[in-house]
Amino acid sequence: MIKPGDNPEHWIIDEKTGRPKSPMKQPGYYPGFSTLGQKAYWDATTRETVEKRVKETPPIRFFSAEELTLMTAIADRLIPQDDRVEERRIPIVNVIDARLSAEKLEGYVYEDMPIDSEAYRLGLKAIEAMAVELYSKRFIGLDGVRQDLILKSIHDSKPMAALELWKGMSVHRFWALMLGDCITAYYSHPWAWDEIGFGGPAYPRAYMRLEGGQPEPWEKPEKRYEWRAPLTSISDRYEEAGGGEHPRQGGTH
Amino acid sequence: MSSQPIDGEFQTPTTSEKILGPMQRISPEMQRFSDNELVDYCIVGVGAAGGVLSQRLAKSGFKVVGLEAGPFWDTERDWVSDERGSHELYWNDLRITGGTDPLSLGENNSGKGVGGGSVHWAAFAPRFHPSDFRVYTQDGVGADWPLSYEELKPYYELLEREIPVAGPAYFPWGDPHGYPYGPHPMGGVGDVLVKGCSNLGIRSCAGGPVAILSGSRGNRPHCIYRGFCIQGCKVGAKASTLITHVPEALEHGAEIRERSMAFRVSLDGRNRANGVFYYDREGREHFQRAKAVIVSGYAIETPRLLLNSACPGHEKGLANSSGTLGRYLMAQAGNVVLGRFEDLIRLYKAPPAHALSEEFYETDPKRGFARGFAIQTVGPLPIAFAKQMMAAKGAWGWGLRRVMMDYNHWATLGVLGEILPWPDNRVEVAEQKDQWGIPVAKVTFSLHDNDNKLIEFGKNKVEEVLWAAGATEVVQEKRYAHLVGAARMGSDPSSSVVDKFGRTHDVANLFVCDGSVMPTQGSANPGLTIQALAARTADYLISQGDQIFTSEKRDMTRPPVRTELSPAGTFVHGVPRLAHV
Repeated sequence: MIKPGDNPEHWIIDEKTGRPKSPMKQPGYYPGFSTLGQKAYWDATTRETVEKRVKETPPIRFFSAEELTLMTAIADRLIPQDDRVEERRIPIVNVIDARLSAEKLEGYVYEDMPIDSEAYRLGLKAIEAMAVELYSKRFIGLDGVRQDLILKSIHDSKPMAALELWKGMSVHRFWALMLGDCITAYYSHPWAWDEIGFGGPAYPRAYMRLEGGQPEPWEKPEKRYEWRAPLTSISDRYEEAGGGEHPRQGGTH
Repeated sequence: MSSQPIDGEFQTPTTSEKILGPMQRISPEMQRFSDNELVDYCIVGVGAAGGVLSQRLAKSGFKVVGLEAGPFWDTERDWVSDERGSHELYWNDLRITGGTDPLSLGENNSGKGVGGGSVHWAAFAPRFHPSDFRVYTQDGVGADWPLSYEELKPYYELLEREIPVAGPAYFPWGDPHGYPYGPHPMGGVGDVLVKGCSNLGIRSCAGGPVAILSGSRGNRPHCIYRGFCIQGCKVGAKASTLITHVPEALEHGAEIRERSMAFRVSLDGRNRANGVFYYDREGREHFQRAKAVIVSGYAIETPRLLLNSACPGHEKGLANSSGTLGRYLMAQAGNVVLGRFEDLIRLYKAPPAHALSEEFYETDPKRGFARGFAIQTVGPLPIAFAKQMMAAKGAWGWGLRRVMMDYNHWATLGVLGEILPWPDNRVEVAEQKDQWGIPVAKVTFSLHDNDNKLIEFGKNKVEEVLWAAGATEVVQEKRYAHLVGAARMGSDPSSSVVDKFGRTHDVANLFVCDGSVMPTQGSANPGLTIQALAARTADYLISQGDQIFTSEKRDMTRPPVRTELSPAGTFVHGVPRLAHV
């Protein structure tokens, strides 16, 4: 997850000073909180699983070199990490690649979708075609706002270009597939747990302070800071995604 | 504070036994039958129903083989306190999903491995209401069950003790009753539910009913409130048939054959089932001979197996003379409503399932639709919560990062709404094949007018509850929970697949026992009812004895309730039942 330059234009803005805020080792409102710091209290199988995630980034097997560059640029917009110092960025594309190269299914395919690996190949092709059609440039050559505009139109299920290619599958299901996979990679990482204040594994030790949002002795209280997204992005606002019902859901009840 | 326990890191105990939670061990040595041996019962699927059936039938002296497509778990070595790492608990093989409201399958509702869905359920264990058994008579929609609540009640009482269920001493809805184990302490989400409901004058109940131990019992410790219920309970506090019934089935000589994928139920020349074809883990074909077959594969794999077992005389699929096999598939409306609070909630603590209200369960003519819904706590961990925000707020990019940084400020409640049985919601077999070459299931699901009205009302009511609890922002995502139906029971062979004991109308020694037999589903999580139905079917089979293996006769006599078949230790704990209920 290397980002050439680390240009302050891509940094988040400190709401207090109005100035770009330099990347942090640990963004989020729980400074000093470390789930991994508690790993000795976890059961051995969980500890191995989570540590492996941090220590070993799976190699790229599925994406071609071109697809990899493009997918990396897309993932940088879907889950931007410009507020993280480079050595604390969380690998996303390698995790998606590992699932696709292992041909791991998640139990079902929508009748209006190809299988996941084909959906990615088609989606990447269509996104690149949109960049060329709209701006006569490759996607990776576009500035952040234009990249976001392309992705936002997929989010809205109204792609601005490459309509022939998009006819090959349901646009909103592809959006949910791609963003969902990015979410799984990012929010399964203990550094993301530290960022959001999620307590992480707690077997066999247990949680003991269940009510009132109280922290455990090893958890940290919240310390908020106010921030704005970089001016080079448009993703820091909430608009309902297009396409009606919401695909790809895990269990709840 | 020290980051190291006094004795160093926790390590998995060295043992050749299978470990089920920190206290329970079972020997991997079990009874092994050869394929050629004629066993009494071959049960396909060792989940919520298959686990209970195999325990009771083995305990009564029958030779039982359970074929399970997934692994026989060792909970200490195979399971993790981790969302992404729990992928293998689910049915991940190919299925096709379609219709106007296609269902998410896989981890949403489909288990694989011994214990089945009871491994990854959230463990809410409410009973169905008496009205659920006569929906057509009362409301003119759906169907009536061929049995009454009263007939199932003794099995609810039994299973509530066997698994057991923790909850309030007085549960006010449906047929009011109390629970044998005390309610759990409250988490932040349950507090929100109770507060919001109280402010609106809606009755709620806290700390259950859930099939999670609030006090330790036998070789199972009490809950530790770590929140990973639907990733499989490593603690052994949450009930699954893997730890509640299967160990005793093995003690009594049942064989559970793991990684065995059934693909055809076989008939002899006299219209009687004589065994099951299956593939082992290496893909080798086997045939297990049996005097009777019980299919317990749940609402998708059960109809898929029977449809794939079509043969001369049963061209539309086995046990499908009515044409209803695969039809009347149901999922419950499961909209998740999320509210943001100024105060911290930390929703990941406590079991996701720990407070509910069934105040809106029954039909209210003033609402303009039949049947109702429940309100329940849910507890999405970070990946699930982020995906809910993707759906509910359209979040992505920096917006997603921002709302996730507020994860600890959100509380999440679920609608659990009754969607009616419709013939066009169904399971068929598709042209595509799975890794064994078996045609896969195609699932079609579409909402109808009553369903849409019910969902809209339920969603709005839960939003009201969150506002009343003090939320500063409320959003929701549409989704579905659970799967039942598709091999429904009924008295009329022309409109149902099995009779009220689970025997197929078409083949006298072929049974279906799982959630697929349900004619309607109420607004209660189906797990307890599935297990209660399995205990009742077992009592029937035991009462009928060898008649099942030899006779075409259909004796519909209600069997006695065999409390002596409950797993050892069932009756050593529990509060006395309230005298008037």
